[in-house]
Amino acid sequence: MSNVLERIVAKKHYSFINGKDVSWQEAVRLSALPLVEDGSVDSDYYKQIVACIEKHGPYIVMEHNIAMPHTTENPIGAHRTAVGLMICENKIDFGQDTDGEKKEANLLFTLSAVNSDEHMENIAQLMDVFMNYDLIEALGKCHSAEEILEAMKKYQTSEN
Amino acid sequence: MAKLDGKKILACCANGAGSSLMMELAIQKVTKRHNIKPAELTHCPISEGQSAAKNYDVVFCSKAFAANFENLGGNTVVIPLKNVMSDKEIEEGLQAAGLLD
Repeated sequence: MSNVLERIVAKKHYSFINGKDVSWQEAVRLSALPLVEDGSVDSDYYKQIVACIEKHGPYIVMEHNIAMPHTTENPIGAHRTAVGLMICENKIDFGQDTDGEKKEANLLFTLSAVNSDEHMENIAQLMDVFMNYDLIEALGKCHSAEEILEAMKKYQTSEN
Repeated sequence: MAKLDGKKILACCANGAGSSLMMELAIQKVTKRHNIKPAELTHCPISEGQSAAKNYDVVFCSKAFAANFENLGGNTVVIPLKNVMSDKEIEEGLQAAGLLD
């Protein structure tokens, strides 16, 4: 089983934006574009993610400025299980959570879940990435696919 | 016998596809580490979890959704998590609830 970051690079499911003055809704749309490009999801798939965040709040923003925009398993408009990674130079403002905590993210890992086994594998591997704070810090500074792979090799732990 | 042996554990998030899966994996780390064998460990979206929660001994959710599980009645223990990936926070929550030594 390959690493989730390797799969993101191999499938060209990554993008880089400046992020300044970009709304979270627009950021979610942009983050899904590489998945739209190869038919993993339809072009309006992102609208379900936006609706979900509008309904439930920015709970998809986790610690260390990581966001994981996603919807349910087997949603309409999703055709393949995939993970997109959008790296933003400036943090995207997702507003406040129920406790008034400000939620911001510079790394958007956007999910499409069609096959549950593949999706579970993605989630398990993403968890290893999210808990590897050196790697997360390094990913935030990447500007190319090569840099993503370099960061992965440099910081990946034995668990990965 | 560990206090969580034979218990039913549920992890809940908005969609049942993201953070609840991460919670389930983090809970697995804890049960393995302490050699605990729960009767059930599963995940689901909030929409199902609200009615299903009372059938479980322990319900984990991200803190944003804690309000959905207030006034459940019965003996269900609800443990809201700040970081859904943190096995340490899960251990602390279980210890505070008297379910783990």
